[in-house]
Amino acid sequence: MLLEDVPEGDCLVVSLREKRLDAVIAASFKEALVQRIEQGQRNIVLDMSEVSFMDSSGLGAVVSVMKHLGHKGRLHICGVTPGVMAVLKLTRMDRVLKTFASRQAAIAA
Amino acid sequence: MCALKVLIAPTDNEEAMTSKIAPNATPNRQSLQNAVDYHLEVTLAKTSQSAEPEDYHLALALALREPVIRAMNATEARVRQAGAKQVHYLSMEFLIGRLLANNLRNLGLYDTCAEVAADMGMSLADVLETECDPALGNGGLGRLAACFLDSLASLSYPGYGYGINYQFGLFRQTFMNGFQREQPDNWAVHGTPWHIERREQSSMIPIYGRLEGDLDFDGQYNPHWLDWNSLIGVPADIPVVGYGGKCVNFLRLYTARAPAEFDMAIFNDGDYLRAMERQVAVETVSKVLYPSDSAEAGRELRFIQEYFFVACAMRDIFRRHHAAGHRLEDFGRYNAIQLNDTHPALAVVELMRTLVDEQSVSWDAAWEITRQTMAYTNHTLLPEALERWPAVMFERVLPRHLEIVYEINRRFLSEVAIRHPGDDARLQRMSIVQEQPDKQIRMAHLAIVGSHSVNGVAQMHSELVKSQLVPDFYDLWPGRFNNKTNGVTPRRWLLNCNHRLAALISEALGSGWIADLSQLIRLEPLAADAAFRLAFRNVKLQNKADLARRTRAVTGVTVDANSMFDVQIKRIHEYKRQLLNALHIMHLYCRITEDGCPLPTPKTFIFSGKAAPGYVLAKLIIKLINNIARVVNADSRANQSLRVVFYPDYKVSVAELIVPAADLSEQISTAGYEASGTGNMKLAMNGALTIGTLDGANVEIARDVGSDNIYIFGLTAQQVIERRLLGNAAREVYEANPHVRRVITRLTDGTFSSEDRNLFVPIVNALLDQGDFYMHLSDFADYAQKHELATRDFCDVENWSARAIVNVARSAHFSSDRTIREYAREIWDLQQVV
Repeated sequence: MLLEDVPEGDCLVVSLREKRLDAVIAASFKEALVQRIEQGQRNIVLDMSEVSFMDSSGLGAVVSVMKHLGHKGRLHICGVTPGVMAVLKLTRMDRVLKTFASRQAAIAA
Repeated sequence: MCALKVLIAPTDNEEAMTSKIAPNATPNRQSLQNAVDYHLEVTLAKTSQSAEPEDYHLALALALREPVIRAMNATEARVRQAGAKQVHYLSMEFLIGRLLANNLRNLGLYDTCAEVAADMGMSLADVLETECDPALGNGGLGRLAACFLDSLASLSYPGYGYGINYQFGLFRQTFMNGFQREQPDNWAVHGTPWHIERREQSSMIPIYGRLEGDLDFDGQYNPHWLDWNSLIGVPADIPVVGYGGKCVNFLRLYTARAPAEFDMAIFNDGDYLRAMERQVAVETVSKVLYPSDSAEAGRELRFIQEYFFVACAMRDIFRRHHAAGHRLEDFGRYNAIQLNDTHPALAVVELMRTLVDEQSVSWDAAWEITRQTMAYTNHTLLPEALERWPAVMFERVLPRHLEIVYEINRRFLSEVAIRHPGDDARLQRMSIVQEQPDKQIRMAHLAIVGSHSVNGVAQMHSELVKSQLVPDFYDLWPGRFNNKTNGVTPRRWLLNCNHRLAALISEALGSGWIADLSQLIRLEPLAADAAFRLAFRNVKLQNKADLARRTRAVTGVTVDANSMFDVQIKRIHEYKRQLLNALHIMHLYCRITEDGCPLPTPKTFIFSGKAAPGYVLAKLIIKLINNIARVVNADSRANQSLRVVFYPDYKVSVAELIVPAADLSEQISTAGYEASGTGNMKLAMNGALTIGTLDGANVEIARDVGSDNIYIFGLTAQQVIERRLLGNAAREVYEANPHVRRVITRLTDGTFSSEDRNLFVPIVNALLDQGDFYMHLSDFADYAQKHELATRDFCDVENWSARAIVNVARSAHFSSDRTIREYAREIWDLQQVV
């Protein structure tokens, strides 16, 4: 699994450089993000622009990260592709996860 | 199958070859010949020396695919351009039958193709006989869906079927010592040239999982559906060629596949077998068609099947709606969805979920769209056949959907409570959720509540739906209930299956009747024409000779084509009363062998039909009929005038063989139990006279052909109800009627069960001790009397022929074209696109 970190002010932009966020990488994805939170990162922008498919495991990992942050910080998501958005809508998670049209918007929000 | 798919997309080199049919051109003899040659040599790598009839069938089908697909694309373009409303017919079953011959007829290429085959030294009939018969249905409901698709295309309506691409159709029936044995029917094992796989339009379908409640951005309760499993629905289209070939719609069937890289985590851990087990489990969803009347029908897999194809269909309908540029709020304006029985009733919930959850439409607006879009066809009055799903299972498989069902029900019951304050019993009767003894979801109630139209399938059935099945709903919404009497397509059920009669009719009337069956009424004066009657009789005799040949080849039984062919072909079920027919044959046998009373004319009784694997009594009835056949056919005292045949493995192609050869059509269900029947229509349309009860569409057949041209017998539906209230009437009949007593005795005295006298005791018990629920004995005397009359009448060949011609002439009402026009006008508000 390839994650790319780019600090932007008080944000950490994490780009998931994979086409699929599924059972194959869900556990290691979650572990990597939680590690960043444990290290003190509170404002995370997750860039999913390369992810065209997310399954239940992948969604579960994202939800876990969001819960781990809780009220201590924020998780913004940008670059949501149609395939990923379909899953968010299907599960109504689009009403809980904050998604943004661009990286800049996600950072600025 | 995949290999065939590739072949349809030619390479540049292939385009350059002269053997292919020119774009947009109607194939002629030469171009068809070239295309067949091409596919034989290049696609199938066969020479004229090595090619078998199967190869010619495949080459011919592939040659036709090209113009068919071009016409399908052109049809889709016309519909898009017209911005027309479309109907989507959702059905668990599509009993489509063989396609090549039907497509050739509808394209007007049958004769051309016969010439091409002859040039190649083949008989087209032999080639057509090699096509597998896709058994993607149990019986009437599935065949009705197929007839409707034919009529939609033939009438140029934009209408599409959605269903499941079962790997195994209904089982293949064989007999072992007279008992039914079920074999798997792997109908597509060698691939089918008509499937067009649309992998790029696959859908991801979630099932199982759990709901987690939370607040959304606006502080509203927001259930999330988490931890689901995925199925992938992969569509394959079968072109539906309308008569004339201009309009080609499609039937879209879904196969369940595991997601790509399915469970790779498990796979990567080295547990390959576990990964494969789960993959197989996913793909089981489209593996097997459930037999109807099956005790197993309550299983979870069936529920998942229903959701799977409904969810796939709904995604596809939304995709096409958006692609056409229509607004979401106009969904119901551009789409009609017809639910063929309650099997697709989850579509109500899935549409609500899609609108509310995915499209953020308000509940009220979504409900309006849903009701505007959905319409429900009821097919049964049998309480045990009305689907109910345990709420526990529903919640396990579709947690979010159950929540939506509860909300629909809450709002619905509030509406009822306002109309009927304090009437708790009514609320309980009407609720979508049955609370006692176990919490269950009533799918018929869901379908009625979520639809703007509820129709029965024959006049009598539609009345019984209102008065007996769901009177509370009729009381609430009388305008929602209507009738659409079933019909059958005259293309398959006259033009294709009975080409001799079709030719005779066309010779007399021209060919306009094929697209407009009302023209058949012009045949009626010809019933008085001796020359036409003779020609009509000759057609029937040749059809009977064909059936006799095939019967001998398949069963070993010799039958006389000059005898009266008495036919009962349908699913085996107590209410359809094959047992009554069997008891009557036993009676005739006793009359001949014990009373010395010969029949006025030789009779051949022909049965065909399957019993659900778990339906023990129905299977015993099959055994009884086979034993009767064995005894009667071997007894020289009787077999000159009486023969009995059980033609195995009933399916569309078998019906196409038997229907044109029938003289008498047995439609003898207990009154009040057959919703419509369509076999009754096919047989009348092909010149068989009906012996039947006042049940289902028999009532309308009797009305149209006239009482002189049909044999009606037995209790009416109301009399059946009244007779039941009197207690066990069967015992009284048994005591009073010596013929009945003798037949019952013969069931257990070894006459028809030399191997085990007790074999048929369960049948005797059902008739005498358990009250004969389906009134076999109560109707026996009248049935036997009408049979005697019919047999005598058959001896007057001229008069019989005239009455048979009248049956054909007055069969227009039973064309599925008429039915589809009614659906289009009165339910779907659908326009033709020409």
